[in-house]
Amino acid sequence: MEVSLFIFNFNAVMIKKLFSNLIILSLIVFFLDFSLGRLLRYYYFKETSGLHYRTTYSIDSTKANILIFGSSRANHHYVPEVFKDELNMSYYNTGRDGNAIFYQVALLKSILMRHNPRIILLDYAGGFEKGPEYYDRLSSILPYYRSHKEMRSTIELKSPFERIKLLSEIYPFNSKMLTIIAGNFEKNKSRNADEEGYVPLYDIWNERIESITPEKKYNIDSIKVKAFDEFLILAKKSGAKVYVVYSPIFLKMKHSKEIEICNEVCKLENVPFWDYSKDTIFLNNNQFFYDIQHLNDSGAKVFSKIICNQINTQIN
Amino acid sequence: MTFTSFSFLIFFPILICVYWLTSSKYRWFVLLSSSYFFYINTKPIFALLLMGITVSTYFFTKKMHQSNSDALKKKYMRYNIVLILMPLFFFKYFNAINAELIETLKYLHLSVTLPEFSLLLPIGISFYTFMAIGYTIDVYNEEVPFENNIGILALFISFFPLILSGPIERAKNMLPQFRSQKVFEYENFVKGSRIMLWGYFMKLVVADRLGIYISAIFENIAHHNGTTLLFGSLLYPFQLYADLGGYSLIAIGTSKILGFNVMNNFNRPFFSKSMSEFWRRWHISLITWLTDYIYTPLSFHFRKYKISGIVISLMITFLISGIWHGATINFIFWGLFQGIIVSYEAITNKRKTNLELQYNLNKKIWYSCFQIFSTYLLFASSQIFGKTTTINESFLVFNKILFSHGKLFIGQPSTFIFCILGLLMLFINDLTDEYFPNLFLFFNNKNKTIRMLSYSIIIIIILLIGVLDGGQFIYFQF
Repeated sequence: MEVSLFIFNFNAVMIKKLFSNLIILSLIVFFLDFSLGRLLRYYYFKETSGLHYRTTYSIDSTKANILIFGSSRANHHYVPEVFKDELNMSYYNTGRDGNAIFYQVALLKSILMRHNPRIILLDYAGGFEKGPEYYDRLSSILPYYRSHKEMRSTIELKSPFERIKLLSEIYPFNSKMLTIIAGNFEKNKSRNADEEGYVPLYDIWNERIESITPEKKYNIDSIKVKAFDEFLILAKKSGAKVYVVYSPIFLKMKHSKEIEICNEVCKLENVPFWDYSKDTIFLNNNQFFYDIQHLNDSGAKVFSKIICNQINTQIN
Repeated sequence: MTFTSFSFLIFFPILICVYWLTSSKYRWFVLLSSSYFFYINTKPIFALLLMGITVSTYFFTKKMHQSNSDALKKKYMRYNIVLILMPLFFFKYFNAINAELIETLKYLHLSVTLPEFSLLLPIGISFYTFMAIGYTIDVYNEEVPFENNIGILALFISFFPLILSGPIERAKNMLPQFRSQKVFEYENFVKGSRIMLWGYFMKLVVADRLGIYISAIFENIAHHNGTTLLFGSLLYPFQLYADLGGYSLIAIGTSKILGFNVMNNFNRPFFSKSMSEFWRRWHISLITWLTDYIYTPLSFHFRKYKISGIVISLMITFLISGIWHGATINFIFWGLFQGIIVSYEAITNKRKTNLELQYNLNKKIWYSCFQIFSTYLLFASSQIFGKTTTINESFLVFNKILFSHGKLFIGQPSTFIFCILGLLMLFINDLTDEYFPNLFLFFNNKNKTIRMLSYSIIIIIILLIGVLDGGQFIYFQF
């Protein structure tokens, strides 16, 4: 018998049908999400090469004495051979393309839970400007949310709903499926080769650029600056020697707000900051660049040597 | 808040419950408050503009309603249109015109300092302004009665599913629906949810993924060869379609769940056999709006010039359509390009039909394929003006497409593969809907298990390969 629910104009049969179908749908989605998500998780942590593997290795395994942090510029600018030869210490490069300060803070927090490096070098490529990009990029460490409590506060900066979204098993692996598959193949090791995290770039930048147009207005994101400060405090607390480097860029930038802020924070925390953005060895030197932002392997070798000499002077 | 933000997934179910549990007498108020809440979440200050446009429209249409003189009615109609167009012109066109003016003065070696403002375009302004104008003209033409309840009028202009990117609805369709007594219907709920789900698929899996690849190409035109630019230009219409089409479906589905029927905005446009047909299937709400309020009065005005009158009306209509999309020379070119093609089709239509009849071409598959492909190619070429920022850039793209060939840029292989996968799914869906409507039924299958599995698989695909971070609807900028 249909029971009419007075003022709402509903009838009980319809409501029952609606809810029973919604429950069935939720159960199917839950089942698929759970099984596929678990499968992706399993294979994600089984990867033996590539981007994901390097992040996992940085977080869970590296015991290197020299740790390089940063984005793609860190990843391509510091050659392990040079560092190991010049400083006689083990080396690992945790830099990852497109990831900025939040990623680096989260990684450092995790690494310091189990290991204290002797030298921490942060390649700072800017990114204090307001905008969602670097928050969105935190998706690269979502797979570690569950197993690494220390990362959670940083990951939750991504959005206020991150905790709810992470109830889904698939969500942390969104858009990562093909990279996970590739990372589980032996062939990927040669296709995506790295030397202790460092990924060399071999081409030469053949074009010329007159100037980089400066941003009209620079809106500083205080959360990003705070994260940068947090990184320095944590790194110092670990007892490591901490250095911040602004590595070379193909041409002189017209605005230097980024560098200004970086300098101020480093001064405040008493951390050496070396700015190579105006170094004449590199400026407009095509032979050393892969593109306007990244040194090629030759450039990286020269630059690594310079940095090692500077570190040696500091240590001794 | 946008349809793809997580907050919307919390907001909407709460609204559904509150809305249907409220007595039908007050439901309009629930919708009005939630619409303003939805809009305020984008940028609070812009709600004042929305309110201003509503008050102005109410005031002048009331004056029109009270007046007995036709001249006076016309005057009030014009006042309102001018007044509500002012914010649109100011926010959308001021800086663009300013920049063009500065460039021209520089070219003439005249140095004049013009004021510059850092203006953020209120989201959806082009859409709700057009809805308010449409209502004003309809009241003047007595096609729609004056709405005495300012709350209902405010709801029409601010109705949250439509406010950000349309469909640009008409008062005669929406106002009676806002006033009618609605009953919760299971069928509407299911239908609306299905439409929304496919809309999310189009937006998150197809449009945003294509957006990553296409932006990588068009943001570095100088560094890409003609092969890549050609491929990017051919993909861009699909991105646009999936973006606005997806948004429109979410809007239509949302409205349906709340008991409202909103007009369809896209009807598988890429199977059109001519540009005239294309414009009956693409952004239908905008094109019918332009037809009703611009093209029809113009063609009536120019009727004595016969075919030339039609051509003039078409050119003006598409020019306005171009300007509506953006205040750049590029969009003017885009509008003129469309106008020329549609006019050419209008002029040669008779000859073409005769030829088709003579050789029985309409029954030949190769001819249909040729027509579909050439229409698509024409639209994709015109969109090069829409995708680039300056005319020089547009011509550079055309030049490279014609003369500089090389290896196709793939970028990140996973992005490329996901693009192709999403695109393929969308294409197959549209193809079967167009030519074999009863062949593969998933969402509409009679078998409940297939239906349920189809919904679940689409949800899982969205979770797996949808772009869940960032990404804005392209049409928010218009």
